[in-house]
Amino acid sequence: MKLINRLLLISLVGILAMSCNSLLEDVEPTTAVSGEAALTSEGGVMAIRASMYSKMRASFGYTTQYFVGPSAFTDENNIRPGATRFQGLNNANGADGATTHLGVWGASYNILLDANLLINAIADGVMEDAARDRVIGEALVIRALVKHNLARTYGYEPGNFNAGPEANWNLAAILRADATLSIEDADKRPRATVQDIYAQIFDDLTEAQTKLAGTSDNTFANEAFAYGLAARVNLYAGNWPEAAAAAQTAINLAIANGNGLQTTANGVANMFVGSDPEALFLLIVDPNTEPIAGSNINNGLAAYTSNQWMSQQPTQFVLDLYDPADLRLGWYAPCGDVQTDGAPVGTSCEAVNDDGLTLRKWTGANGNLSDNIPYMRIAELYLIRAEALARASGPGAGVGALNDLRNARGLGDAPASVTASLDAFIDEILDERVRELVQEGHRFWDLKRTGKRIFFPDQTEVKFREDSYRILAPIGQGLIGANELLCENPGYPAFDPACYQP
Amino acid sequence: MKKVILTSVIALLFGFGGAFAQSGSLTGVITDSDSNEPLPGATVFVTELTTGTTSNIDGEYTISNIPYGTYTVVYSFVGYRTVRRTVQINQPTTTINIALRFDAMDLDDVIVSGYAPVLKREVTGSISSISAQEIGDLPLQNTEALLQGRAAGVNITTDSGTPGGAFRIQIRGQGSINAATPPLYIVDGVPVSFSQLTGLSSSSPLNNLNPDDIESIEILKDASSAAIYGSQAAAGVVLITTKRGSEGRTRISLRAETGFRDATERVSYLNRDEFLDWAAEAHNFANPNLTLAESRENRVNFYRNNLFGSPIADPDNPLFADPLGRDLADTNWQEFVFDRGVTQRYNLSVTGGVQNTSFRIAGGYEDTEGTAYNSRFTRLNLRTSLDHQFNDRFSTGVTLNVARSTQAGVCEDGNFINCPPSQAMFEAPMSFPFLEDGSYNPRTRFGVDTNPAVTKNEVDRDVSVVSIFGNLTANYRFTDWLSVRGLVGVDYRTTEDFLHETEVARPTMGGRSLLINREVRNVTSNLVFSANQTFSDVHNVGGFVGVEYRENYSQSASLEARGFPLPFFRWPTTAADPFNVGGAATEFRFAGYFSTVRYNYDERYFLTFTGRYDGSSRFGADTRWGFFPSVSGAWRISDENFFNVSFIDDMRFRAGFGTTGNAAIGNFQNRGLYGAVGSYQGQVALTPTQLANVNLTWEEAQEINVGLDLAFLAGRINTTVDVYQKDTKKLLFGRPLPSDSGFGSIVENIGSVRNEGVEIELESVNLSTGDFTWRTRFNIAFMRNEVLSLPGEDGDTAEDRTINPNSFLSQIAEGQPIGQIMAIRWAGVNPADGRPMWYDADGNLTFTPSQATDAIPYKDGFANRVGGFGNTFSYRGFTLDAFFQFSFGQWAFEQTAWYFTRTLDFNMNLDRMVLDRWQQPGDITYFPRATLTGAAHAETADFRVQEGTHAVYNASYIRLKNVTLSYNAPRAITETLNVAGLRVFVSGVNLYTWTAWPFYDPEVAFGQTDIFNNLSAASYPTSLQVNAGVEINF
Repeated sequence: MKLINRLLLISLVGILAMSCNSLLEDVEPTTAVSGEAALTSEGGVMAIRASMYSKMRASFGYTTQYFVGPSAFTDENNIRPGATRFQGLNNANGADGATTHLGVWGASYNILLDANLLINAIADGVMEDAARDRVIGEALVIRALVKHNLARTYGYEPGNFNAGPEANWNLAAILRADATLSIEDADKRPRATVQDIYAQIFDDLTEAQTKLAGTSDNTFANEAFAYGLAARVNLYAGNWPEAAAAAQTAINLAIANGNGLQTTANGVANMFVGSDPEALFLLIVDPNTEPIAGSNINNGLAAYTSNQWMSQQPTQFVLDLYDPADLRLGWYAPCGDVQTDGAPVGTSCEAVNDDGLTLRKWTGANGNLSDNIPYMRIAELYLIRAEALARASGPGAGVGALNDLRNARGLGDAPASVTASLDAFIDEILDERVRELVQEGHRFWDLKRTGKRIFFPDQTEVKFREDSYRILAPIGQGLIGANELLCENPGYPAFDPACYQP
Repeated sequence: MKKVILTSVIALLFGFGGAFAQSGSLTGVITDSDSNEPLPGATVFVTELTTGTTSNIDGEYTISNIPYGTYTVVYSFVGYRTVRRTVQINQPTTTINIALRFDAMDLDDVIVSGYAPVLKREVTGSISSISAQEIGDLPLQNTEALLQGRAAGVNITTDSGTPGGAFRIQIRGQGSINAATPPLYIVDGVPVSFSQLTGLSSSSPLNNLNPDDIESIEILKDASSAAIYGSQAAAGVVLITTKRGSEGRTRISLRAETGFRDATERVSYLNRDEFLDWAAEAHNFANPNLTLAESRENRVNFYRNNLFGSPIADPDNPLFADPLGRDLADTNWQEFVFDRGVTQRYNLSVTGGVQNTSFRIAGGYEDTEGTAYNSRFTRLNLRTSLDHQFNDRFSTGVTLNVARSTQAGVCEDGNFINCPPSQAMFEAPMSFPFLEDGSYNPRTRFGVDTNPAVTKNEVDRDVSVVSIFGNLTANYRFTDWLSVRGLVGVDYRTTEDFLHETEVARPTMGGRSLLINREVRNVTSNLVFSANQTFSDVHNVGGFVGVEYRENYSQSASLEARGFPLPFFRWPTTAADPFNVGGAATEFRFAGYFSTVRYNYDERYFLTFTGRYDGSSRFGADTRWGFFPSVSGAWRISDENFFNVSFIDDMRFRAGFGTTGNAAIGNFQNRGLYGAVGSYQGQVALTPTQLANVNLTWEEAQEINVGLDLAFLAGRINTTVDVYQKDTKKLLFGRPLPSDSGFGSIVENIGSVRNEGVEIELESVNLSTGDFTWRTRFNIAFMRNEVLSLPGEDGDTAEDRTINPNSFLSQIAEGQPIGQIMAIRWAGVNPADGRPMWYDADGNLTFTPSQATDAIPYKDGFANRVGGFGNTFSYRGFTLDAFFQFSFGQWAFEQTAWYFTRTLDFNMNLDRMVLDRWQQPGDITYFPRATLTGAAHAETADFRVQEGTHAVYNASYIRLKNVTLSYNAPRAITETLNVAGLRVFVSGVNLYTWTAWPFYDPEVAFGQTDIFNNLSAASYPTSLQVNAGVEINF
């Protein structure tokens, strides 16, 4: 009996000892898979594609900051007294406020991570060629959008390299076209030049236009948007004929897709509610499961503008630009009329504009303070085409496209005075861009690329001189500390003249 | 695996029906030698059998089934001189009555160490011990709270003042730079899981253990004592032993108490009129053409018409009061947010035993309301322990604790507009909770849905925890010197979070309910062979070898429903839109082999070797296993013949060296993974979340400890001094990657950190004259923390290797402590114009300092002198105990108070300290000129957001932690009442605080995993609690 007991005990310890290592092996995560599993199945590839769009929606830099930031940074928006969101951008000027800018580094590369995987790392044979082409084409367009946003945030446009304190300053952001698959791929790189980045953007868009031929679902990157984006980037690059041509192709495709200009009072006033009939690329935001930047209530477009915090309100400068007959005045309503949540009604919008109006582009139309997000509307393409043709061939060539837009908005043709000179026409285009694209992420970039002085909302005090170092966003101490190959932009504390000599 | 162990233990339980050898029982009564009163709770320990018991309420004890033979039996009790007797067991019942002489502390107490009890005289490492007597009357909810200030070098900070809230515990400093790790808690041999705590409240997993059930707590502080727990021990080990029954008459103890709970500190804010004066002053600076009275009128109108309205309803427009005749509100929001809570506690225990079997059954109920509105804690628990001796070789025990605790939680720790601690700061006095008709004021600072009254009445954050915690042990003694003990322990916990927000609180969702069910199954099993043998009377050899396996599986499932138009429903079935679900599971496992060998020569020279070979599922196959050895020794110099110092009774040197490990990273961190994060148009999104690191392995702490134990003046003074140096190497750290790679960081083993210090514990009997005794206890730890090395590439300077360089609160640099504050030097306010000034790096005045270039190493968040001291006075049946706890050296930044309560930018509460501000040329003040918003002067940094030395405050404090007054009724009364004992007591905690910290609570802890300890942000402050109660024994 005793012997048996002892044998039992000894064997028990043996069982324990032998089984331990295998027990430690046998544990798997439940909400993640290995990279191989993700890239070798069609479901995995489609999930990475979903992630690329999901990250745009989930990042502040490609939602609220992307659309409202350039307005708050200039003269389109100002802070409602008592509110705080984007107050830093409102107050920033060309001399100090060293950290407040439209920096978008991390969010951009986070999206590029997925885009680069889709472009480079889909294993052979996991899906049919057509489906694969479409996924790669979408990734190329999104990569171009993100790269362009990086280039304009951290660098000057081609042709403007002498605008700032340093001559021929042509650095943009890091060029990363390959997939990061292992720790070795996460290497340190220097900033690429604006020229190199633009070259890659054009290559990407050309390839995407082929791969996306025939696609028309505007809730994903598609053929029309590939041309529309090419028009926008060519405009920034000063390639006027290319910009005008791409804009026309994009307009034609969008109209064929049913995304032409709205022309009725109701159509214009309510175009931002729901499916957005003018959008070439519309990111869908599910109010319940896919919030903007983590929380619609804290960070969403509506929360920053017409709802919740009610922070950024249209300035009197913007409202004064409209003709009383302009259908786009339907976008404005008294503060509080669209409010479903947050600060109490009737508060102090009068301090921003005379009638206490708010802009109804971002109202939380999807419910729970979320809106679908149009990254490009057809109206912008008419404005691109008008500007590009005018710059290529004189104001008379561009006014037709401008009038197409004006007519749709309930206005007659532009007065003759606007075609008196190219300068007058460009000024009119910039005003029209405010009327049409206010709070859609253009104003700061438009003033920057055209080299205009930026004023505070009252239009008397200068906010940024055109040659201010603050026109470019800082790379920042944090990024430079982690990667000594990065050079800071001129004028910021970490700028080292020896770092880069073009 | 579990099944294998379970089956084995069942086999152990029932398979060994060995014949009864001849054995007898040892029994007797233990009394006080002076009074002849029985001594309940005294320890009786049979050294050779490593078994023992405690005396019952009548001082009686019985140990059964002792095989015939000769034994050394140790009788001990706290404060009494230990008696060692050689006892012959050669008849069925041997009676030994012992009268213990009151003396002071003694080194012969039996204390619990890793896997086996040892005599305190044989301890070679550094262990702090806290007994039930010391903490029995504290009206606190969990074990961590009980330990605060009681053990040298154990720094415990309240993370949240909510009842049942969590604590941050550092044993011998901060060893990790990734995330702080709680120590390993082991209750009766079973590790406590920290997985799946509620998300709705600060909460401790130890809430399920009723403090009334605790017999003793031992803290294994140094590596040589903790190495037996190997890979999980780098942050220290806390061993909790619960009360068990003993043979003898069945005894019933009933305890009931009640009391109240209040906020310890209040911040003094400006009232309405002071606020308006301040605003008028700011407005007047901006509009110098106006008179001050006109500016004030302007501000009154602004606040009334544009921001706050008036609580006096206007029949035509309830929001806008008549600007001429009616007033702004003057609300004291602190009174609204923090109010007095009521507490009640009941405990009932029944203990007893017949021959071979003893039991203890105890039940408790506690209900404590917190100070912030809605916060509340309740616990109902039943604890059963049963011990049975089958025969002289085989015994078994079972312990089971079943508890349900609930918390009504609040959110905290951040600038949240819907959390009570920040609401107390965010609402100005002109804001008010209710309109005249009793409806919610829609014009509170962030609108009606975050009106504090709405958060209070329309939001429920209910947490319900059910815990089953128990173990099953079996002991088998092969011979006099060899035995085996098997243990299966289960820590099973379900946590149900129920968040409900009505339509008023969540208008955009139409109200919502969020349910999360969390479950953790934490199973531990071990098998330990122990041996003890004495050779030639002087060579004492003992030790054990064992194997242990632990798996911690946790899962959660959540569902969210929205649309509750009917106010009386809150369950998802009644919602318009039950739309969102979630759920995930995760797991980690540990396995280890371990052994300790002890040797002593004639109880003069002691030597202990310990080793543990541990594996964890958190690391890859090549780096999974680690070996954690230790060696330690002691020399009882007072037993040497040459030692001849008459006033020293006992003197012992100890020295030890050992290695412990830490695997405190998330599960699966070594793998390259694509995680399911987000979705687009319903398609689940998958994205790379981390890159693979196959080399990831244990963080290792190497520690050397040297100690001295000294007892002198006839045992009246006992001191313990320990000096240690602990180097934590291969630190687990998320090394930042270039963010353009798409990844933020990768967890690697990098760098090293040193913690070193001196710990002193002292206990003394100052006076002992018949009826009156006065005892003192004191402990203090001096600690230093320094980052030794950080990773870098060849040619990097120390600056290159710095993590978060020049960050205000989170720089980690070689040669500096973790928690270093890098601050720009404050130069004061310019007396000429009230403009704030700072110094730049070169010491020149600047108005626009830059954190990157001008910040200097200032203070740090590391509390380097912590401890406690207490006095106990006893006179006849009265006992008065007063205990102080202190912490010095920690400096911190109160983010919420600094950003929001010092300037008018946000129109929130204003701290009264701003009154020390510049008003006219020549004023020398701490605060600059009043300003409505932003910087008051051109080309000057905004004082509100500019961090610097002026924003950092000293969080040192001394706290009157506890005062207890109790009265033990004399025998004359108890006999009249026909009870065995009667005691009444009053006890208070956190009664008074001496501190220069100007905010709510100098106990700065941002969270349990915060390593920097230099930031707080609207934390729930520590609470004061006073209870009175009665204990009756039958």
